[in-house]
Amino acid sequence: MENKNHFGELTKRMKAFREEVLDEKPYVDAERAILATEAYRESLNQPRVMARALMLKNILEKMTIYIEDKSLLAGNQATKNTNAPVFPEYTLEFVMKELDLFEKRDGDVFYITEETKDQLREIAPFWENNNLRARGEALLPQEVSVFMETGVFGMEGKLNAGDAHLAVNYKRLLSDGLKGYEERTRECKKALDLTDPDSIDKHVFYRAVLVVIEAVRAFALRYSALAEEMAAGEDQEARKKELLEISRICKKVPYEPASSFREAVQSVWFIQLILQIESNGHSLSYGRFDQYMYPYYKKDLEEGRITEEEALELLTCLWIKTLTINKVRSQAHTLSSAGSPMYQNVTIGGQTEDKKDAVNALSFLVLQSVAQTRLTQPNLTVRYHAGLDKHFFDECIEVMKLGFGMPALNNDEVIIPSFIGWGVKEEDAYNYSAIGCVETAVPGKWGYRCTGMSYINFPRLLLCVMNDGVDLTSGKRFIKGSGFFKDMETYEDLMAAWDQALREMTRYSVIVENAIDKASERDVPDILCSALTDDCIGRGKTIKEGGAVYDFISGLQVGIANMADSLAAIKKLVYEEKKITREQLWDAILDDFQSPENKKIQEMLIHDAPKYGNDDDKADLLVVEAYDTYLDEIAKYPSTRYKRGPIGGIRYAGTSSISANVGQGMGTMATPDGRNAFEPLAEGCSPAHNADKCGPTAVFKSISKLRTEKITGGVLLNQKMTPQMLSSEENKQKLEMLLRTFFNRLHGYHVQYNIVSRETLLDAQEHPENHKDLIVRVAGYSAFFNVLSRKTQDDIIERTEQTL
Amino acid sequence: MPAADNTQTGLIFNIQKFSIHDGPGIRSTIFFAGCPLSCLWCSNPESQNRNRQAALASGDPKLAGRAWTIEEVLVEVEKDRCFYEESGGGITLSGGEVLQQHAFATALLQEAGRRSLHRAAETTGFASHKIFAEFIQHIDLLLFDMKHHDREIHREKTGVYNDVILENMRYALEQGVPVIARIPVIPGFNANKRAAKGMAGLLRDMGISQVHLLPFHQFGEKKYEQLGISYTMRDVKQLHPENLQTYLNIFLEEGLEASFH
Repeated sequence: MENKNHFGELTKRMKAFREEVLDEKPYVDAERAILATEAYRESLNQPRVMARALMLKNILEKMTIYIEDKSLLAGNQATKNTNAPVFPEYTLEFVMKELDLFEKRDGDVFYITEETKDQLREIAPFWENNNLRARGEALLPQEVSVFMETGVFGMEGKLNAGDAHLAVNYKRLLSDGLKGYEERTRECKKALDLTDPDSIDKHVFYRAVLVVIEAVRAFALRYSALAEEMAAGEDQEARKKELLEISRICKKVPYEPASSFREAVQSVWFIQLILQIESNGHSLSYGRFDQYMYPYYKKDLEEGRITEEEALELLTCLWIKTLTINKVRSQAHTLSSAGSPMYQNVTIGGQTEDKKDAVNALSFLVLQSVAQTRLTQPNLTVRYHAGLDKHFFDECIEVMKLGFGMPALNNDEVIIPSFIGWGVKEEDAYNYSAIGCVETAVPGKWGYRCTGMSYINFPRLLLCVMNDGVDLTSGKRFIKGSGFFKDMETYEDLMAAWDQALREMTRYSVIVENAIDKASERDVPDILCSALTDDCIGRGKTIKEGGAVYDFISGLQVGIANMADSLAAIKKLVYEEKKITREQLWDAILDDFQSPENKKIQEMLIHDAPKYGNDDDKADLLVVEAYDTYLDEIAKYPSTRYKRGPIGGIRYAGTSSISANVGQGMGTMATPDGRNAFEPLAEGCSPAHNADKCGPTAVFKSISKLRTEKITGGVLLNQKMTPQMLSSEENKQKLEMLLRTFFNRLHGYHVQYNIVSRETLLDAQEHPENHKDLIVRVAGYSAFFNVLSRKTQDDIIERTEQTL
Repeated sequence: MPAADNTQTGLIFNIQKFSIHDGPGIRSTIFFAGCPLSCLWCSNPESQNRNRQAALASGDPKLAGRAWTIEEVLVEVEKDRCFYEESGGGITLSGGEVLQQHAFATALLQEAGRRSLHRAAETTGFASHKIFAEFIQHIDLLLFDMKHHDREIHREKTGVYNDVILENMRYALEQGVPVIARIPVIPGFNANKRAAKGMAGLLRDMGISQVHLLPFHQFGEKKYEQLGISYTMRDVKQLHPENLQTYLNIFLEEGLEASFH
């Protein structure tokens, strides 16, 4: 592309390092699992909080460490870059079941050696009925077991892994060092009145925190020693000097406060890494990187300790290292997280606590470094606001032009007031960051999983409503029936049944979520992650026990647009114009529109009814109405942290369904919008595929009709744009105008662009070897096109129509 | 002038939102059916009068268009008002040839003006002086087609002489209406140095400052097929800005602010 060089090229060695990491075959890696098993065996008598701390200690003491010859940073997750460690304390079930299948997957392939298989087989008996998965399943009330069996909530993965979906307090880590945390922990421990029954658990928590801080310090010292040893054997003077500097830094951080930019980057990387050794929750995010890092960069620059070029190279190195983190998911889970994403988000831009534009020199440098590395990690988000630096916004569009789906834009103008409305303090609301993809939270002060756990599949539930409460796909009863569609005389009858069903289903999703939350609170507390999240230390609690300052989670929905289009078609064609009878429609759905008559019905459903995404109230307002029930219902259910410390402890809505639209679509029969069975559903709040015919302004208008200020969990919108659209300066400016209107006037929450031509994608399917670094925006995150399954690839190609 | 009758109707075949090539900012372009010219390269052949029967016979409402009241048009374009306001955009009347439905178009413009919408029109300028003069009273910007300076060649490829067109262009400039000249650069017609020199000189003399060059493309090809009419430009090579640098320079040398669109 013409603007490839707008941001300059990677340095020669970073280019080579990038290639190396891209060429790595990801293997399932048993080392962590073995060390975790060893530690668990030795601490059977320990309270779980302490057992978890001792586990992390054992891993950090004994795991293989290395420093790549091209790297400026130390710290690796597994025995080799991009290998995926195994976390048996969550589950081993899918790993053992899929042992021989990892290499045969259609997408998200992992390799595995016979030795690894043997090692895993050896430890497997210990974990049988003895991990989160087993205990979580045992805890689930029977009333909701049908939903786990059918996978309708897409909870696959939630009992297989940690929560994450947060950013720890990196600002404080840098200013106080772990040393500061250690001191505070000692003080709090000392201040405990041990006659207070609560103090017993708090005391253990504090001891556990001290164990992990010491373990992290020792881990960094291992790298320090390694770097020194490597320096001794290094012939090249420049590299020798670098290694000695790495050794010096690792001796210091993250235990001591950082006093230079290099130290700050290394400190943050260590913690970002270790948190992903402690737990395998994804969407572990960097928070507002350009804000907490800037003081260190500025000072070094002013005092001549670093040049802009050096800082840039260091950042590119950090992003390449960030890509080395990997996670192996079950085959079923890959459907909603296609492309093996870690969703490690970096947020830049936005406003400062005193409401000024927060863009600084480092914001530009982050943008440039991400543009140069062009990888799927980190997931870059820019916080937009009305006063965003114009030049910075221009540069953001330049990055979008590169076509790897970044940056995504989140809008301060709606998110900040929304937070304040939920009780978040103003200065904290102004300091929010994106987490993972679209979701938002206050970094360092927010509990896990601001995005929630379960998906409610709107169109599948609609079919269930039309079928007297029995799920069409599985034939199992999901909800109490309100009769069959053929007996619903009016549209209002259908809507009344919908209202009741959605409320019932929402309650079930809450039951499942609470059970899983309880199980993970008891079974897999994260000690380091809790320690670095305010105010767990002050309260002597883990995050799951209510340690965070704020704790809001959101329910997720899938297929909102299919739901809207289905209702619009039923309302118009069945009830108003009576062009299709209720029996005809139902038969056509059961037939998946296969017979010639039913094909005709499908044509009518597709072409003769209004569609969401075209600024047509006839479809748009139906989704608002259907969604309102959900907003109303979800707000009734506090989480397991309610009244245990955090502000919040409640739920609100969110639509960041990531790539679940594909997996959920595979479990959904034909729908009344004319969609065939098993086809993907619409993603997030985006219109259904090919349903938006009136261009981007109409899509924005449709989205804006939703009660965005109540959907604080995120309103995900994917837009497609052809490369031609951004071919001239004038067009670029018009895109900015379009976005400004969406954000300033229509209070849009989020938007991201996929800018890559259909031809390129088709070519990549045919000749993957020529496109190994081709990245596409999946839904809320970017993924390498080549690792996606054929089905997801097809879905993306389908969406990448020529729009202009 | 009396208040416009918002129930009168015009024949429109498309209203395109997020138009970014038809004037400043983000616009909605209203495509009027009907055009007295018969340019061979036309990318909206369904709008040409000579193809009206074929358009109706196609059975495709997108080709045949339908009657819209002024109120209906305004309801549709008002939907994007926030985009116009934020971007300095508005509405653009295009076609076909908007002047062929001048009474409707003028009334629409008048009402749009009352609602403070920025109004542009893309026109061939082929209409009587009286009609044209009334029309431009309600216009904020004219995107005025310039096809050829030579009246005989003009007649040969478009079906009409350019006398009245040039008179109208002169008149609009006299009246102080902002005018941007738009030249479709067509192989075998005006995609040559002589034509460029002729047009550049003429435009400069008339007092035009801005010129948009629109290189020939076959975007309309599918429509010819749908209409079942022959497309004589089917095999002509498409033009791209990179092939037309010398062509562009001729305009720049005349002091015109010319660019590709």
